[in-house]
Amino acid sequence: MDAHRAYLRFFMLILGIETATQQVSVAIGGHEGVLAVFELSRGRRHAETLTPAIEFVCRQADIEICEFGAIAVDIGPGLFTGMRVGLAAGKAIAHALRVPMIGISSLDLLAFPLRYADRTVAAVIDARKGEVFYALYRPVPGGVQRVTDARCTSVDELVGDLMARGQTVVCVGDGALRYRDEISAVLRCDFAEQFLSHPSAAPLVQLAHAKALREDWVNPWEIQPMYLRAPDAEINWSTRATGGASQ
Amino acid sequence: MNVTENTLVLGIETSCDETAAALVMGGYDVISSAVSSQVDLHAQFGGVVPEIASRAHLDLLNPMIARAVVEAGVSEERIDAVACTVGPGLIGALLVGVSAAKALALTWDVPFVGVNHMEAHLYAAFLEDPTLEFPLVVLLVSGGHTMLIEMRNHGEYRLLGQTIDDAAGEAFDKVARFLGLGYPGGPAVDREAMHGDPEAIRFPRAMLNEGLNFSFSGLKTSVINHVRKHPDVSAADVAASFQAAVVDVLVTKARRAAEQIGARGLVLGGGVAANSLLRERFLTVCTDAGIHGFLPSRELCTDNAAMIAAAGWHRLRSDGPTALDAGAYPNLRLPLLP
Ligand SMILES: [Zn+2]
Repeated sequence: MDAHRAYLRFFMLILGIETATQQVSVAIGGHEGVLAVFELSRGRRHAETLTPAIEFVCRQADIEICEFGAIAVDIGPGLFTGMRVGLAAGKAIAHALRVPMIGISSLDLLAFPLRYADRTVAAVIDARKGEVFYALYRPVPGGVQRVTDARCTSVDELVGDLMARGQTVVCVGDGALRYRDEISAVLRCDFAEQFLSHPSAAPLVQLAHAKALREDWVNPWEIQPMYLRAPDAEINWSTRATGGASQ
Repeated sequence: MNVTENTLVLGIETSCDETAAALVMGGYDVISSAVSSQVDLHAQFGGVVPEIASRAHLDLLNPMIARAVVEAGVSEERIDAVACTVGPGLIGALLVGVSAAKALALTWDVPFVGVNHMEAHLYAAFLEDPTLEFPLVVLLVSGGHTMLIEMRNHGEYRLLGQTIDDAAGEAFDKVARFLGLGYPGGPAVDREAMHGDPEAIRFPRAMLNEGLNFSFSGLKTSVINHVRKHPDVSAADVAASFQAAVVDVLVTKARRAAEQIGARGLVLGGGVAANSLLRERFLTVCTDAGIHGFLPSRELCTDNAAMIAAAGWHRLRSDGPTALDAGAYPNLRLPLLP
């Protein structure tokens, strides 16, 4: 029975959904690796793009949605509204298929492609309002290992942290690109290519497959986004469709 | 797709601060309806905080869908279409429902239908009284809207009147906040007014004798001025007098609208329709005027997903499915006849 379960996990197909930054990315992965990827990094129309993208990727890869054994999603940190588009869609599909979910941080996804960099990797996502989400990673055989907690800080704090460590660093992510001048003004470091600056669903399904082998997954109602920032308690009077009085 | 009395629609609603899912058969028959109100989450801020609402929708939507399916006692395979509010509402909140609804439709391989939240409020009454006949006048009052709509047929609406400034529900929220009655304002004023004298203060009834439009911002201002001038006034009297003024204007204009177009029915909808004085006066006015009045239950007046599924069924029948590249439209308007 266990051998059979392990066999099923090994051949499991995984749908990966990534909407935590301005990019929309969908991928299908399995034991052979990444089978299909859709990626769109302009437009920021996550909700409009995502469902047709899933439909397209599945059709082109000749895979029915009911064949997926798990749904992987980027749980952030990132842009809240975009993140929730992917999470809501992923939860709905997992719910409908009654399959588990695998959540992976956007920062892990940014760092993973730089696992051969041979030095500290700083994954930095633009959090708007002059702040960034970031975490530092150390390359290890087969991947990267996170060496700090994911944080939401000012750019100055990020630069201070990097300087204090006194290590050579490679920075990756849309936050790294946006604040490239601020960072390189005080620190000698490299910046990853622009095409690596958004988390992608390709490493998402790769990392998720490894987790699926260990049954390291959760139920769709248990998956939690990583916001790292408290909500703005700003009340929007003008665009309310219904209000308090409608209770 | 052949849309019939047996077509089972899953409705999803996440436009503001209620997370809801429901199953409705044939556009009229509510099989199940699950609503989770986030009111407690927003109460401490005195209004709906968009980011808090969006976060809560993401947590609550799957459980609400599961509850609606379990309460209906049907298998998910039986669902023929997924309908979801696409606007108007809070963008981040809407997107949670729209993303989930489209993903469900894709996974189950059934049509997706985008629903206008305002149109859905018009359909709420049909769920409890399918015998309603056109033309109808609907008085729609909520935190965001105060409108008189002529419903000539399914999908055929004409705007008869609307507020030129604050919505009625907004006035309730602001007055409640000013009087320190808490949030949400509608029920708070309603409760306080029970102990007060509605004739204690004669607040203005703006535009009472002219046309079918409304204005409530002057009323809110005169409440504030009155309380500043008479700091010892009883809050209950202010609440009761304020409520009486709002209700007076609403029912007078609703009656006028119904008489003007020769309506065969007058229907109340929207969250403020849960107000006890409004409910009472509305029925009296209908009886006096000899109009068939219909008052949906409080559950159907406030935001719910049964009305979304019902409106979705009608839209699916008239327009067919909505494409999966649809988004959310925070300022969506009711489609009106030219
Ligand atoms: Zn509403």
